[in-house]
Amino acid sequence: MNRGGAGGGGGAGAGAGAGAGAGGGGGAGSGPTSAAALAAAKKQKKWLESVETDIANIVDHFSHLVNVSRVNEPPVRNSQEAFMMEMRAARMVQASDSLLKLVSDLKQTALFSGFASLNDHVEERMREFDKQAEKTDRMLARIGEEAAASLKELESHYYSSVVPHTSENYLQQ
Amino acid sequence: MDGKQEISLDKLPIKRLDVIEENGLERFPPDVGYEEKRESLIRRIDFAWAVEKDDKNKQKKRSRESSAAQWEFQSMVENLQLAHQELSVIIDLINTVEANDAVTVASMTRPRPFPNEALSDLAVSAATKLQCFRHLGKYFKQSANALEQQMSREARFYGALIRLQQNWKVKRQRAAALASGNEGFTIDLFDNSLYDPAGIFRPSPLSTVRVDHDSAGMLAINLPPKSYRSLQFGFLSAYPDDNPIESSKLKIQSSSETDKESASDDECVKETHSLLREVHQAIFSEQVFDLVNREAFYQSLGVNVTGIQENYLQLSIGQETSVFISLVPASQGEETVDSPSSQNIENAILPLDTLDGLKLPEDKQDTPKKKSIIPNQISCEIYLLQIFHQHVFLKAKDRPTSGGGVSGQPAKEGSGLLGHFCMSLAHRIFSNKVLMELENVVRGVPYMQLLSHPTWHSRTSSWTLFVKIPQSILLACQTRTSDSRHTKHVTKSQFHTKVVVTDDCINVDGEGAPNVVGLFKGNSQEICSMNRYDCDLADLPVIILQQVASQVIRWLHEEALMVGIKANRDFLCLSFELEQGETLSLVAHVDPEDGEGCISWWLVIEDGFIEDRKLNMDICDPASESRKFLGHLSLEVLYSIMMDLVGLCNGGGN
Repeated sequence: MNRGGAGGGGGAGAGAGAGAGAGGGGGAGSGPTSAAALAAAKKQKKWLESVETDIANIVDHFSHLVNVSRVNEPPVRNSQEAFMMEMRAARMVQASDSLLKLVSDLKQTALFSGFASLNDHVEERMREFDKQAEKTDRMLARIGEEAAASLKELESHYYSSVVPHTSENYLQQ
Repeated sequence: MDGKQEISLDKLPIKRLDVIEENGLERFPPDVGYEEKRESLIRRIDFAWAVEKDDKNKQKKRSRESSAAQWEFQSMVENLQLAHQELSVIIDLINTVEANDAVTVASMTRPRPFPNEALSDLAVSAATKLQCFRHLGKYFKQSANALEQQMSREARFYGALIRLQQNWKVKRQRAAALASGNEGFTIDLFDNSLYDPAGIFRPSPLSTVRVDHDSAGMLAINLPPKSYRSLQFGFLSAYPDDNPIESSKLKIQSSSETDKESASDDECVKETHSLLREVHQAIFSEQVFDLVNREAFYQSLGVNVTGIQENYLQLSIGQETSVFISLVPASQGEETVDSPSSQNIENAILPLDTLDGLKLPEDKQDTPKKKSIIPNQISCEIYLLQIFHQHVFLKAKDRPTSGGGVSGQPAKEGSGLLGHFCMSLAHRIFSNKVLMELENVVRGVPYMQLLSHPTWHSRTSSWTLFVKIPQSILLACQTRTSDSRHTKHVTKSQFHTKVVVTDDCINVDGEGAPNVVGLFKGNSQEICSMNRYDCDLADLPVIILQQVASQVIRWLHEEALMVGIKANRDFLCLSFELEQGETLSLVAHVDPEDGEGCISWWLVIEDGFIEDRKLNMDICDPASESRKFLGHLSLEVLYSIMMDLVGLCNGGGN
């Protein structure tokens, strides 16, 4: 069960690496320089090799662990196998950690690639903000007009009334 | 292996008969246990040669150390060699033991172990192996938990970083990553689109924000407290009540203070967005302050620097007001920053000649009047930021950024903005004073109304004062007009006077005002329908009142002409000639300080010989004219008085 899980994780990791690498390679291929394309292809190859190595290590060590489960007649061999089992388990964990680091590298590469989609997103956001700015300007203009109309109405009511012209209010500034 | 080695062999595990009894019973020696056999074998291994070698090597080492500097890894190499030798011995021993187990004596087979012995050995081995596997299982579980935690931490971190990247510029510095131990991610807040050949926009130290991990592995941005500043604007009219210390304060909370453990990832990202936005605003504030400082030292209209300190600039607005623009450390949470006005008045480097117009806080006689004059502090601060943003930053972005093709214009583009801002403030203060005067005038004249006209220009204000003819009079006029068939005459229902203030210039534009030149010519009939003239604030009330009074006189004059009575109009006087040669005049008197009303009316009766005497003696003889104060009259009363005078003219001098 663990072997299947490890294999599945390795397959997913390899697929992700291949996808990112392909995307990076494809993007670099259509990029400006051939050197960048070569570097991307190299990186992709290195990742794939790393994935394969790690998965192979995990599978290999796990298969040894399973094989060693047989109880041997010379007891001394069991002790020998115990040490070997610990070693193989540590190597399995090391390979898993290496896969995890590969995933981190892939995420970092994803951060600094795919600028086309990022630029599209930025442009879309700019359009949204421009629209919002225009809408705000229109709203401000409308508020200004409404305020001016309200001010006019209020002033006409106020100065038509007796209040501002009474002597008590006069010269009260 | 080096050195002499001895290997000893034990006897074959043959069971020799000890005793045969007479009845044929065979007795064998007791069996030696397996563990005992092992122990005896191990004890028989002689490691003396290795120990001796160790001693020799140690002596050699000491001699070498004393002689010269030793290779630092030499001891490790020797230890490893010794360990290698021990391992080889043990492996040989193991192989020997295994071989001994498999050795068969010629013509004799190794006796089979009993089933219970074999099973017990097998059980022990199986138990041991099971224990090993259990130990491995625990180890795998722990490793899986640790890897899972690390994966979730990284997923949170990178997920948040990718979301931040949608709005901010994320960079990675590998050297910083190696030095600091984290990934070396930073967020660059500097706006590269502000191409600046003149070097106006320099990257601020705040432009690069480091991205760290918090204790939960989530993305965190830690900024030192008070590391960035916000722009503060205030008035130094020396009336503390006028300066509410509530300018826009940045409510900045460093990420270390919030309880991130309980907040979801979305909230963390939102808070980080807010924090970055506030730092962005702080950078903008610093750039604006830098621009303001640069402009302040150019000779430009409206800018008068009266004080300067680090991160502090004081300007005078007009003669009575000063403003300050400063950069203050951004407050944490809800703390407010005390206004530096009181302390900086003392500490600012103030030239002596600029202190004359500055009123000290002790002078509070005009406090109630000053309160309504000072514009809103926050709105001024927003306006300052807005004009610099619009005219400098947006223009810099719109400029084509072809490399090297831009001339030194950016340095000059910002000039005049500070002057415009200062003049806008001065205009706002002045227009408030004008408005107060107009309101006073309107309050003193019951039939006058004031209407504001928003100009949406920061240095222009406009009002209209108008006098409405009462409806009853209009109806009466219309009735009379239809009766007399004077269809061409249209009775005006309103008289307007427009007051426009541009910067500190007041322009009065009204109809019916007398033409001064016409007065000098002796013909007051030569009056322009519209008159425009400038005045100052002190004369404004009088001019407005004279304008209105002249409009009323003109209206009465037109009404009198409409009924067929010949009347003369002379500035603020409407005269009717009686048959006996007497002259009845309705004279307006304006006084802005009159508590009862600003426009009062007099009735002056003069006989026909007065004018000659006046020309000869230039003395007004009170005996030949009588005056009667009519008071502060409404338009209806004035109209009825005018009609009575008309009737008097028609009916003779009785």
